[in-house]
Amino acid sequence: MKKRIGKIQSGVLTGLVLAVAIGAGVAAFLLFDTSGTKSTLPPEYKYEIEQYAKIDPALIIYEQVGDPIETDFDTACAITLDDAGNMVIAGDSKLVKYDLAGKPLNEIELPKEPTCIEFDLDGNLIVGMSNVIMILDPQGNTVQEWSAPTAVSLQTSIAADKDHVFAADALNKLVWCYDREGNVVNKLGAKDPDRNIPGIVIPSAYFDIATYPDGLLRVVNPGRHWIEAYTTDGDREWYWGRAGVDIEGFSGCCNPVALAVLPDGGFVTAEKGLVRVKVYDADGEFVGVVAGPDQLGWIEPLRVCKTPEECKAKGFDVAVDKAGRIYVLDTLRNVVRIFERNKSAAARAAR
Amino acid sequence: MEKQTPDNLPRRRFLREGLWTGALAALGAACAVLLAKGRRQKYVWQIDPLKCIGCGNCATHCVLNESAVKCVHAYAMCGYCDLCTGYFIPEPKELTTAAENQLCPTGAIIRTFVEDPYFEYTIDEPLCVGCGKCVVGCNAFGNGSLFLQVRHDRCVNCNECAIAVACPSQAFKRVPIETPYIMKDA
Amino acid sequence: MNRLPRISIVLLLWLLCTVPAMSIQRFPPPEFETDHTIPTATQPSARSVGFEILDVAVLTAALSLASWLVLKKRSRRWIVVLMLFSLVYFGFWRKGCICSIGAIGNVTLAIFDSNYAIPWVMLLFFFLPLLFTLFFGRSFCAAVCPLGAVQDVVLLRPLEIVPWLETTLRLLAWLYLSVAVLLAATGSAFVICRYDPFVAFFRFSANPAIWIISFSMLIIAIFVGRPYCRFLCPYGLILRQVGRISKFRVTITPDECIHCRLCEGACPFGAIEKPTVEWPRTEYPRGRRRLITLICLLPVFIAAGIWIGHALHPKLAANHPVVQLAQRVKLEQTGVHLETIDMSKAFYSSGQTLEHLYASADQVSSQFALGSAIMGGFLGLVIGGTLLTHSIFWKRAEYEAHRAGCVACGRCYNYCPRHRKWLKDKKV
Repeated sequence: MKKRIGKIQSGVLTGLVLAVAIGAGVAAFLLFDTSGTKSTLPPEYKYEIEQYAKIDPALIIYEQVGDPIETDFDTACAITLDDAGNMVIAGDSKLVKYDLAGKPLNEIELPKEPTCIEFDLDGNLIVGMSNVIMILDPQGNTVQEWSAPTAVSLQTSIAADKDHVFAADALNKLVWCYDREGNVVNKLGAKDPDRNIPGIVIPSAYFDIATYPDGLLRVVNPGRHWIEAYTTDGDREWYWGRAGVDIEGFSGCCNPVALAVLPDGGFVTAEKGLVRVKVYDADGEFVGVVAGPDQLGWIEPLRVCKTPEECKAKGFDVAVDKAGRIYVLDTLRNVVRIFERNKSAAARAAR
Repeated sequence: MEKQTPDNLPRRRFLREGLWTGALAALGAACAVLLAKGRRQKYVWQIDPLKCIGCGNCATHCVLNESAVKCVHAYAMCGYCDLCTGYFIPEPKELTTAAENQLCPTGAIIRTFVEDPYFEYTIDEPLCVGCGKCVVGCNAFGNGSLFLQVRHDRCVNCNECAIAVACPSQAFKRVPIETPYIMKDA
Repeated sequence: MNRLPRISIVLLLWLLCTVPAMSIQRFPPPEFETDHTIPTATQPSARSVGFEILDVAVLTAALSLASWLVLKKRSRRWIVVLMLFSLVYFGFWRKGCICSIGAIGNVTLAIFDSNYAIPWVMLLFFFLPLLFTLFFGRSFCAAVCPLGAVQDVVLLRPLEIVPWLETTLRLLAWLYLSVAVLLAATGSAFVICRYDPFVAFFRFSANPAIWIISFSMLIIAIFVGRPYCRFLCPYGLILRQVGRISKFRVTITPDECIHCRLCEGACPFGAIEKPTVEWPRTEYPRGRRRLITLICLLPVFIAAGIWIGHALHPKLAANHPVVQLAQRVKLEQTGVHLETIDMSKAFYSSGQTLEHLYASADQVSSQFALGSAIMGGFLGLVIGGTLLTHSIFWKRAEYEAHRAGCVACGRCYNYCPRHRKWLKDKKV
């Protein structure tokens, strides 16, 4: 079995073996990387979302006022402003009123988790829960309360004009139009080919509405990336908006997630996913950006979470005060950021 | 008569036999203790979808040439969108199944029309490489119904999973074989 | 019989886990007007338990057969046949995925981590070869271990390795075993599996670094008999120690040694030991002095080991994922690294606090401080002990296969004239 090997030959062999051993050790040490810091995945297999998150600074026409205001909510979900300019935030099982400095003024406990809030023209606060609507007077007393007509419903947004209360129901994919007593007067937005209504597409629990000075209700159709205008009779008058990751479009599968109306009749929209808050004029023409991922704190496309609901929370709600300042509630971090029109940008626009 | 080899010296033999018996007893005891603790439990590797960040290491670090990790669809979470952000590239020319519009580099997602305006998306597993590109797209913009899982018909259940070692978010864990999947829609 | 309660407990736990999850309002998929039903994803099940029983059965059979072939049949040819079978079954068919060597990691983790329960198959794969070695010597290494088989079949031009080098290189195995146990005990890594040099061949896939290690080891194995088994294999090292006290063992001759010296060069693993000549009388005082010096030095070796081990603990701790993450995050926080990587991105998005991360990393580090010191002390003891055993005169009257070093490959049998006579007699 064992062959006799000449002295020189075995020396050469020993040297070779040693060289191989040392070379292998060095090469392996240099090459071996299990830490996952260097990915060997070819670029076509990678989704680089960061590149779409970059926004041309010239398009950003708002700037943040002060620091983000911390709330003590576990899960905040909606924001609105009272006549005095205080913020009312709904979440957990309560409503909290904050002044502009972020100091809690008072707190109202609710029987269950609210999903949306809005003031009516008389200064009463309408609170939407999954399938219950409550109207509270300015002192916080319950004036009225009624349930949605279907047992299973998820009211994600609420709005009111003089005679009606509108509740956006994401599960039934329509807007309930109630009179002030809580009787259903009409259903808006349900699919109806005869009236040329294509139907509202709602892939996730985001479905916002807003009243508008012209008397038509603005309804977000998130799955189709539209803002539709409905009469209280349920006629669909027109719509605007389109899908797109470019700055003028609404990104992702279901955006915008929130809508608010500016004093000049323009619109503020908030998008999830590629987080950005933008301003459009009354006709739906893009005006500028309020805040992009950098200003709102970029949220990783996939986050490490402990619970499924923690992973899901990623939306925003927006509100506008009389001066046109924009309040953005980050429902993931439960903070409010206030933005106002950038002076230099305004001046540039004037020129 | 036995030969007098050093091995057979009486004290050596005594020592050896004592050691031998001791070793046997120790082996038996250790085995019994560990077996009792193990209660015959068997573990397999799985990805916790709540921890996965879709980094792509699953496609490259598996010891198998074609990774044991594949994309799985939790249909019950899906919005059945026309514009599926896990299926289409960020700026598709049009919403058709043309290859140029597809996000998946291997074309492993099948899009079928259900009814206006809904489409169903199914994973063609043999084509899926487990890169997680669609998972990122779906989670960033959509409902997060696409997620990565170790497919146990492929996984060889290595002692130390090579992907687990490379996983940046420590999303890999050992789960009991009775519940080998962590489904998002469970 | 206790299966039912166990399943119900698992079910109960599962329900408890899912109830809060179900109470979360998940947005439902659309309700279709057509009768389209929403499918559910398939969940292909893992390899069935039946195959595992087969694995254990094959292991037991192979060990029994190997022991019989080595001790009774004394046939190198049949040992090779069994070795090839093991190579195909445990290597190429099972892809090295059920492996006694790697089981060291699982057994260690099971001892140190109360949450980890070792699978019974893994446990048997660890203990059965030990048990057989206790009775029959290293028959596992001979013909059951696929890693040994790979090296054995490629050994074409064995080089002789001088004894002092052999002994020194074997210290590598002690080091490897100690580090592997430390890293497994702290839940950092199963390094034995990670750096397995032949599994790349079994699976036909590995990362480039492992391929380099694998091919180098293969090339070295052509010239150096079973380099992994002798100088690195941690399990081989354990089997060596068990082999020292085995009940039966390989004997070169079936009956008596006629001192023909024909087997002298037969063993490519340097495991055949010559009969000893008496030391000259003048040697004894020197030998005794050396022995006393070494015994006195032993505590020094151990102390040095503890000191070095403790000094190296930050390097070893860096193998733990939490420590790795904490180090990276710290560098990013202090501005050394300006870019985040996947690992730190995942951490930041998890919402965990820096304090929590640093605290858990410190906890792991302190485990390593203790573990590394113990490891260092142990290695000091091993080095001192090795020197000691080589300063003791062991008396041998005939050519013997070294109890610990012999891997029972059966190569030496045919060199022995007594063996050939025994064969002839058996035929008649």
